[in-house]
Amino acid sequence: MRYLVTDDSKLARMTLIKSLTKFVDNSQIMQATNGNEAIDIVDKYKPDIVFLDLTMPEMDGYEAIPKILKSNPKTKIVVVSADIQTKAKEMAISLGAKLHVQKPINSQTMQEILELLE
Amino acid sequence: MNLEKITFNDDEKDVLQELINIAYGNATAIVADILDAFASLSVPIIEVMTINELLFKFNNFKHSSYFFSTQAFIGDFSGECAFFINEESANNLAKHLDIDNVADLDDAILELTNILTSSLTMRLAQEMHTEVTYSLPNISKIPLSELSNSKTLQYYSQVIVIDTKLNFKEQHIDGQIFILTKDGSMQWLKKQLNIILKSLI
Repeated sequence: MRYLVTDDSKLARMTLIKSLTKFVDNSQIMQATNGNEAIDIVDKYKPDIVFLDLTMPEMDGYEAIPKILKSNPKTKIVVVSADIQTKAKEMAISLGAKLHVQKPINSQTMQEILELLE
Repeated sequence: MNLEKITFNDDEKDVLQELINIAYGNATAIVADILDAFASLSVPIIEVMTINELLFKFNNFKHSSYFFSTQAFIGDFSGECAFFINEESANNLAKHLDIDNVADLDDAILELTNILTSSLTMRLAQEMHTEVTYSLPNISKIPLSELSNSKTLQYYSQVIVIDTKLNFKEQHIDGQIFILTKDGSMQWLKKQLNIILKSLI
């Protein structure tokens, strides 16, 4: 399994990776800082799960979701965002994300996410 | 007043930005729910500056008159959260809420400020593993040219400027938030940001 963590914040990426490495090997995890970088990595490495922030510079999560799925329809997208408005969740899911989770993610939430996506 | 600015390195700024991002997202969702509206969130730009620098920044504000509401918070991290909303946005808020008199509009802005600033600072405190308590919010309508005379601004030495807008596009309501603090709280904040950073290494 391959994982991609996409967030413009280094702290957000580190926090998420810390939770993720309790369940998967660090060598399976890639990082991107915006939607553009995420699409490039999805094109090349076809990760199975993409963790994606919504509010990012250059290309935000809303724009990136359909492009990631176009590049690899099998990729499962988990939106990890501070934007917890109902409409934001609905928009992310309607664009094709599997889950919308509030930041920050702890180990328990990560375990639940990975079990749900199995 | 100590005018020497406490500086943050890139890693500290990144942690602060992400914590505020989380807190701001939480606060916006609560306000959006109350107003039955959707706020577009932008990447918050966090700047730490002295009050004098903030007053200089106000020169870039485009409107001549602002509702300026504040709420103090007390704890390990103490200060005052200030919310600026221009007159046009305040009038749009009144329209959205079917308010037709000044007293009710003041009341609505105070309530909005109370919810926004308390949920913002409460979540920020929670992310920094501490707690804060609050005073009642205050409101005043200030012409831009008189902002430098504000007693609230004169009381503080530093300010965290959250350069992001509470932006309800459909309703044409936007506002700006500032966290005013003193040097002691800023030093506590710096220490706490480093504890968080170390916990991730």
